[in-house]
Amino acid sequence: MSTKTRLEGVKFQGVVTIVFAFLLLPVIIVVLTSFTTQTFPTIPREDFSFEWYVRLLQDEKLLRALTVSFIVATGSAILSAIIGTIAAIGFVRSTFPYKQQISTVMLLPMIISPVITGIALVRYFGKIQLPSGYPALIMGHTILSLPYVFLLVRSELLTFDEDLERASRVLGADPATTFRHVTGPIVSPAILAGGFIAFVVSFGEFTATQFLISPDTSTVPVVIYTMLRTGLTPTINALSVILITVMVVVALSSRRLAS
Amino acid sequence: MSVERPTLGQVTHIVGDRLQGRISNHHLALLGVSFVGFFLILPIIFLIPESLNLGSSTPFESYRRAMDSIYVDAFVRSFIFGLATTAVTLSLAYLLAYYLTFAARRVRIVMTLIIVPLWIAYVIRYFGILLFLSPAGPFANLTGIDPGLLFTSPAVILGLANVYLPFAVLPLYNSLNAINKELIDASRVLGADKWWTIIKIIFPLSLPGLVAAGLIVFILAAGSFLGPAVLGGPQQAMIANVIAKAFLENFNIQFASALAIIYTILLVGFLIAFNTVFDIQEVLGDI
Repeated sequence: MSTKTRLEGVKFQGVVTIVFAFLLLPVIIVVLTSFTTQTFPTIPREDFSFEWYVRLLQDEKLLRALTVSFIVATGSAILSAIIGTIAAIGFVRSTFPYKQQISTVMLLPMIISPVITGIALVRYFGKIQLPSGYPALIMGHTILSLPYVFLLVRSELLTFDEDLERASRVLGADPATTFRHVTGPIVSPAILAGGFIAFVVSFGEFTATQFLISPDTSTVPVVIYTMLRTGLTPTINALSVILITVMVVVALSSRRLAS
Repeated sequence: MSVERPTLGQVTHIVGDRLQGRISNHHLALLGVSFVGFFLILPIIFLIPESLNLGSSTPFESYRRAMDSIYVDAFVRSFIFGLATTAVTLSLAYLLAYYLTFAARRVRIVMTLIIVPLWIAYVIRYFGILLFLSPAGPFANLTGIDPGLLFTSPAVILGLANVYLPFAVLPLYNSLNAINKELIDASRVLGADKWWTIIKIIFPLSLPGLVAAGLIVFILAAGSFLGPAVLGGPQQAMIANVIAKAFLENFNIQFASALAIIYTILLVGFLIAFNTVFDIQEVLGDI
């Protein structure tokens, strides 16, 4: 008899179902109420409509925010994937004193409250004259998503068989060829997966972002937050559903790539 | 006489050989750490001069003001809400992680269900909770029940627990999953019932995961801005909200910087204290 059957019970299943409902219902309710015909987010019964999506597509401000979010997320994902991978290779493949302790530094962007990161960065970017708008947003999001890429690529690299590289070298390939034909192809899915996760982190970031935007570079989460403060309309739902779709699709692809 | 020009392949080989000699893996690690140093640690250190009123007779004015009771209250509230959220989140996460380890039949699908919310923007998830708690919202409409929780402390704590739940499940699942299943079988064979096995074998062995999950949830919850901003009222303002308000609404950069520095020092102090009891490296290794 396996442990699986020994430790479960009907009551336990019930409680677990409730916890799952607690976890997932907020997202489900946002999606469901986006199809309402009313002017307030309500769950549609028979009157199912895409009215709010149509309105969304006609609203230039919202489309602009979507474009900004895409540009910022793509830019920061590329930077974050490169820097995170470099750091992960460095930490996995070398030994030096206090390596473990020092690697915690890579996780700081996750630990520090994003409000503090936000105000520290906006003041700092002012000092080093990095323009607000895209440059500030992309740099800010790169630093915020870095820990996720670092952790993901590091865990993939830890399972990498370095004998393959040695074999390639022994068989006469130089380091560049070895990287191009052996290391690269094996590690690149992890790097891509890291980039996708960075994209998702950037796409949803609000707290630090509110300090970094310029008037014409509001991102979607900032627009959603502003709309939440002024009154609930189903437009927020429609916009949220688009965001959810993009995030889930990108993150699922990342999960697929990273074994 | 013609000089033979190297092909692109040869060039990359030459560059590769040179790089191999000059750039070691140490340098790569250093590059990563410097990036965080230059774009996070240094910016935070630069908040120190911003927080001081240099040149005046009262350079520590902002720090004195931060001792006013409303700001001390915000710090205390962050701590208490952080603890309460950690308690709620850990109990729910333990249930899910336990289910995932010992009862779930399709682990990968269940795991994906738990992780999916993690990918979705916090602001959207808080919006969903807001819809649930809103007295005119779809839930109240459908059931006729108004939970009466919106803009109260329980609403904020429930919201934070909801949002950070997946973060807690992962380390817990890792440590539960690492338990040697034969230990559990042995305990059962030797006559211990289900609960005794959980108390004596499973729970003690899952403590590292519990500590890791607790640390990450506490840090995230105590520093949260969106939770109290969307689900709470003025009475629920946490430290992140107070800092953001000082900066964005009152344009008081000096005061916002002072609060940010105090908060960072408290956080570092907390981590050092935590480190004396548990090994933070080991704990973070679980994440």
